[in-house]
Amino acid sequence: MILEARAVSVRYRKGAALALDRVSCQVAGSDLVAVVGPNGSGKTTLVRALLGLLPLEGGSVLLDGRAVGSWSRGSLARFVGVVGQQEEAVFRLSVAETVMLGRYARLGPLAAPRTLDRAAVMAALRRCDIVELADRPIDSLSGGEWKRVRVARALAQEPQALVLDEPTASLDIRHEMELFELMRQLVDGGLAGLVITHHLNLAARFADRIVLLDRGVVIAEGSPAQVMNRATLSRVFEWPVAVTTWTDGSPQVVPLRTGEQLGDAP
Amino acid sequence: MIISGIQRRNFGRILTSIFLVAGAGGSACRSAPKTDVRISLVDDAGDTVRLAAPARRVVSLIPATTELLFALGQDSVVIGRTSYCDHPAAASAVPDLGDGIKPNIEAVIASRPDLVILYNSGQNAAVASRLRELGVAALRVNTDALSSVPRVARMLGKLTGNERAADSLAAVFDTALASATRPPADPRPRVLLLVWEQPPMTVGRGSFLNELVERAGGENLFADVPASSGVVSIEAVAARNPDLIFTTAEGPSAFATRPEWQVVPAVRGKRFLHVTGSEFNRPSPRSPMAIRELTAKLNGRRP
Amino acid sequence: MSWARFGLLASVVVLCLLVGLSAGAVPLPIGAVWAGLWSADAEASAIIRDLRSPRVVLAFLVGGSLGICGAALQAMIRNPLAEPYLLGLSSGAGLGAVIAIATRGGGAWSVPVAAFIGALCAVALVYRLSLVSGRRLDPHVLLLSGVVVGAFAGALMSAVMVLSDAPGVRNAFLWLLGGFGTASWHALGIFTVYASIPLALLLFHARALDLLALGDEPAHHLGAEVDRLRRMIYLCTALLTAASVATCGIIGFVGLVVPHAVRTVFRPLHRTLLPIVFLVGGCFLVLADVVARTIVRPLELPVGVVTALIGVPLFALLLRKTLV
Repeated sequence: MILEARAVSVRYRKGAALALDRVSCQVAGSDLVAVVGPNGSGKTTLVRALLGLLPLEGGSVLLDGRAVGSWSRGSLARFVGVVGQQEEAVFRLSVAETVMLGRYARLGPLAAPRTLDRAAVMAALRRCDIVELADRPIDSLSGGEWKRVRVARALAQEPQALVLDEPTASLDIRHEMELFELMRQLVDGGLAGLVITHHLNLAARFADRIVLLDRGVVIAEGSPAQVMNRATLSRVFEWPVAVTTWTDGSPQVVPLRTGEQLGDAP
Repeated sequence: MIISGIQRRNFGRILTSIFLVAGAGGSACRSAPKTDVRISLVDDAGDTVRLAAPARRVVSLIPATTELLFALGQDSVVIGRTSYCDHPAAASAVPDLGDGIKPNIEAVIASRPDLVILYNSGQNAAVASRLRELGVAALRVNTDALSSVPRVARMLGKLTGNERAADSLAAVFDTALASATRPPADPRPRVLLLVWEQPPMTVGRGSFLNELVERAGGENLFADVPASSGVVSIEAVAARNPDLIFTTAEGPSAFATRPEWQVVPAVRGKRFLHVTGSEFNRPSPRSPMAIRELTAKLNGRRP
Repeated sequence: MSWARFGLLASVVVLCLLVGLSAGAVPLPIGAVWAGLWSADAEASAIIRDLRSPRVVLAFLVGGSLGICGAALQAMIRNPLAEPYLLGLSSGAGLGAVIAIATRGGGAWSVPVAAFIGALCAVALVYRLSLVSGRRLDPHVLLLSGVVVGAFAGALMSAVMVLSDAPGVRNAFLWLLGGFGTASWHALGIFTVYASIPLALLLFHARALDLLALGDEPAHHLGAEVDRLRRMIYLCTALLTAASVATCGIIGFVGLVVPHAVRTVFRPLHRTLLPIVFLVGGCFLVLADVVARTIVRPLELPVGVVTALIGVPLFALLLRKTLV
């Protein structure tokens, strides 16, 4: 098991409510797990706990079978690559230079990049399909291109797991699909993938398993078809929805308008 | 006494306001009261100072003029001085009204003067016109050069009704100065006038110290600098190689042992000229004596 | 970086050093400089060896150090407008110097030592303030705290200067404005002792600076120990800047302008940027010092004034270039 949370509980401040209440979650290699839920349900908290960024009130987090606390900063960076929600660049690096930063954990502080580092960067650029952007300055990229550059940088770390936080925020259809297809390819190639997303329908199409959180508690966990049923989703998201099935068998969610009845759905 | 002072001030104020309204604002020359103007002169700032009677209550905000007033025998009229007025010793009995650089108008007015003496700086222009608005005569003088001693003495003599003493002081001063002034010897000892050490500062030919040294037969190392003071580097000093280093205040101990100063031969040879005494800070009737002291020291060290 | 560019940079450095050695209150032709450097009894040798050489070398080292401090801070605070003096350092140093003079502290070293201590106290106060908000060394909080502490120290300094009747307190301003007029091998030695470890640490962590510039979270995920790194950079820049203030007063704009200028020509990756910034910063300050001591010969302008007068138009030019 690459990433594993066992009955993890997290409280942000003394006396506040639990942000996570005995949450368990597992991601194995070649597994794409999507964490979904309404705002404030604890999705980001779960991911931060999995990365060892938060003190736990209860439970444990294991990475590759070892407790997360026993991992050094450098070894953690060699194991899991993280693509955060937002990133603003201050200095005008090129795409290739940005992706090369992903090799930090494998290079010494002063060493010059070696052939194998350059090879890893090139491989990452290829997998993300941005080779032709290699010499472009990063302030000239579109939102979708910038996202892919950051994914390439995470890949340059040569990790065994990839964690993405709302990767499709503010992307158009084409870039959303490209990104999820890329994630699927990477996971099929052996990586363990964990993605937080608001996009229920894309999660249903691409993820192997879905973890549905609400108020720090796991409501449902399993395949998309198992998790995403009308009653559960309407209750958790506090909004009436209809659930249809797409040709590939994945459930697709359609929120109902005020006044619409279930009978109106095909 | 207090009531009449207030009445006098208000009278002066009302009159002044009338004149200010009638004439262009800011011109202090119109604040003449309607009584006889017995004494009138033009000060170093170009203003005309008028008094109905010889000044009997004088605030002197320049150490040089405090000294002059005492030298003129007018000590009884001095009712206020600055913290730096340290000569003669009797001056310490006079109330201290703060420093003369940023005069405290309230404190000055509170002592009810009929004449205030200010240094002729840009800042004091506003102070002077404020004083005149309040009905007090203000005299602005330059006390930087030796020539100011007889000139200012005569002004003070006229304003305090003691012109004879002033003429006599001026005459004595001129004679003493002439006799104390050495003809330039050959070669003239070249003196570095070091007034501050961190950073090293010297004075140029616009300054009083420069004048003193030249009259004593020496030559200011930086006489080519027109400004009255400035920062120099040790290198500039070393390149010009002074025969002597003149210090006031802290003295040579502050820097004489520092390694970077050893490049200067005068420092290595410990050829210092240390003087203390306020007669080296400002032109005064003691200046001829100061020149003689310098001459003696220069002669004693002549290479 | 290509060898051609490196060669160009190296020759610029050598040229600046030569100009520094030959210009001065007494301009010396290169021949005299050469003779003075190597033979003991040449006419100008005392000046060249004991005054000008340490002065030029010290200006070079200080300029290089300030440049590196500026670059490191700009990466750490993620703000290209960061300067070493933003952390309240300059006012703290000024306050220390003025108190030393006002209390007539004995000894020739009292003013520099007091300036050094004052600078470090200001930095410590800024650090403490940034902890109060619970966000350790957060860039926004750092900047604000630096401005606040700087203003506070500056006000205290003005108060001391107005109230003190010690002679020369007003001359403290002149010392603070910066100058190399009293440079010596001794001062150079002391500065080198203080500066070498912080400089080495900053250069060693050049690549980590690239990561920090991305933001705390990305840097963390890429493997940088963000908290430890920030503390180290903060401490090193504070020490370096305090040491340079103690040696030669407050010289601004070097840390601000030099990294910017270098970034317009060279890559912004710090492994190559920092050494280049060091060399360019050194040259900049050597040339500024040459201007300071020749433009009103034989008097000296404070070097801090020259760097500001050159730095501000240069900065405006750079801004135009990057925004256009």
